[in-house]
Amino acid sequence: MGKNKTILTVFIFACGLLIILPIFFLVFSSFRAPEDVFKLSLNLGNLTLDNFKAVLETNILRAIWNSLVVSVTVTVVAMLFHAMSGYALARLNFPGKKFVFGWMISTMMVPFTVIMIPLYMVTKNLGLANSYGGLIIPMIFNAYGIFLFRQFYQDFPKELEEAAYVEGLSIAGTFFRLVLPLSKPMIIPLTIGFFTANWNNYLWPLIINQKEELMVVQVALANIVGGGYETAWSIVLAAALLSAIPTFIVFFSMQKYLVDGIKMSGIK
Amino acid sequence: MRRKGMKRKLNESLTAYGFLLPNLLGLTVFVFVPMVYAFYVSLHDWNALSPKVFIGFENYKEMASDKEWWKSVNRTFIFTVIYVPLLFAGSLFFAVMLNSMKQRFVGVARTMFLLPFAITSVISAVIWMFLYDPRHGFINQFFDLLGLPKQQFLGSTDQALFAIIVVIFWINLGYNMMIFLASIKEIPLDYYEAAKIDGATGWKAFWNITFPLLRPTSIFILVVTTIGSFQVFDQIMVMTKGGPANSTMVSVLYIYKQGFEFLNMGYASALAVVLFLIIFVLSLAQLRLYTKKD
Repeated sequence: MGKNKTILTVFIFACGLLIILPIFFLVFSSFRAPEDVFKLSLNLGNLTLDNFKAVLETNILRAIWNSLVVSVTVTVVAMLFHAMSGYALARLNFPGKKFVFGWMISTMMVPFTVIMIPLYMVTKNLGLANSYGGLIIPMIFNAYGIFLFRQFYQDFPKELEEAAYVEGLSIAGTFFRLVLPLSKPMIIPLTIGFFTANWNNYLWPLIINQKEELMVVQVALANIVGGGYETAWSIVLAAALLSAIPTFIVFFSMQKYLVDGIKMSGIK
Repeated sequence: MRRKGMKRKLNESLTAYGFLLPNLLGLTVFVFVPMVYAFYVSLHDWNALSPKVFIGFENYKEMASDKEWWKSVNRTFIFTVIYVPLLFAGSLFFAVMLNSMKQRFVGVARTMFLLPFAITSVISAVIWMFLYDPRHGFINQFFDLLGLPKQQFLGSTDQALFAIIVVIFWINLGYNMMIFLASIKEIPLDYYEAAKIDGATGWKAFWNITFPLLRPTSIFILVVTTIGSFQVFDQIMVMTKGGPANSTMVSVLYIYKQGFEFLNMGYASALAVVLFLIIFVLSLAQLRLYTKKD
């Protein structure tokens, strides 16, 4: 039994290494001179930072900044709006509650790719094309976040709110001062989810923005890899590695919560 | 007292509507209106620049004889039929494996499997284009080492779709594995103890206990993965743009090209409506599975 477990563990690690191998190649080759990117040698002597210096000359840094602005804004606003809605649906009584909930959930049935054309038209008609607003606002509204916050608040202890009401705090006051600060177990995994999803968003920015200075990182990266000429791999890989840094940081620093988030999304 | 209660009720309702307002507005403008608008636009001939011309169901009629469209639908189905079972079996397999490995090492193993999920989009496509490079790529170098002929991968009409499936599988394996693993951990250990007494261990225990109890999770993963596989866009757009010779032109990419490259907005909307119906029917069918036995 013990021996079987050891073999199994070794097997899983072998598979795990195979899975991270592509990422290893990304890191490794982005430090190689252009003529050496495809060379698989363990010689660490000829590693270079030239590729990263070359990347700084391109628009990638600007694109990384744009992506940060978009992803962070979407995430922060979405957390606030979805927590408020989730709380109302879980804890407050009002006429039409069932209908509102059903209607919101039904929007989850609509895949993004199905509405991308009319969404583009609507956003453009609102004068938001080629602006941060167009990149940000349509990405905030997502019934999935509302749904998960509602689940979370349904299991939230009632005593706290009752005490707050006795103290004379309004419903809104109770929510913002007491409930919201205690919602971290839901906010953190959803923050990771929203941030990563928006950082990796490619299709919507591709459609809604044609302005060079507002280009997000995924679009900029796609442009340099498919620029119509022979791909300059050393620069492309260095750019890709830089673009991956924010999500890797989020991923490693919050992995515990990421796992919690996955559990929630899967089980509920 | 009663008056106070009424006031409180009114107050509660107003607060609730206030809390819901941003999302009600946002979901209406950015999801609901576009959905209705998609159908409206699909009844028009429209190139986004000149005024819309109402043509009834002409776009849908045109679609019926659009061979490229149906080929793209067919390709999407092929993609789904290969990818969904592969991902399902793979993630379940590794979840069971991780559950029975030395638990001390589970954390590290989990990190390795989940890592690709941090770079789901263009970055992952870039990495794999590099690995798939037909002349010098590491995969072909490895093939060379084994004495196998070099392959074209993304440049081959036979291999490109499968090469893309590998990438999407690589991205999503760890995430789905984690969902399975979390559900496996919820199964009470007593069940396995009881089964052990009846002589059911290993595979038998898996088929008789684990797999049936994972049913809700399995359906969840099937539905989500199927919907996802109908929407794959990023990697294909970056790696092949639908080529070579349209061999990776899946439905979403075809809609994108019709809409944003050829500016056939009306026609593309009609295609999107049909794609929605296909996805809707498929998810309903899978959900029926879910409610059938329970």
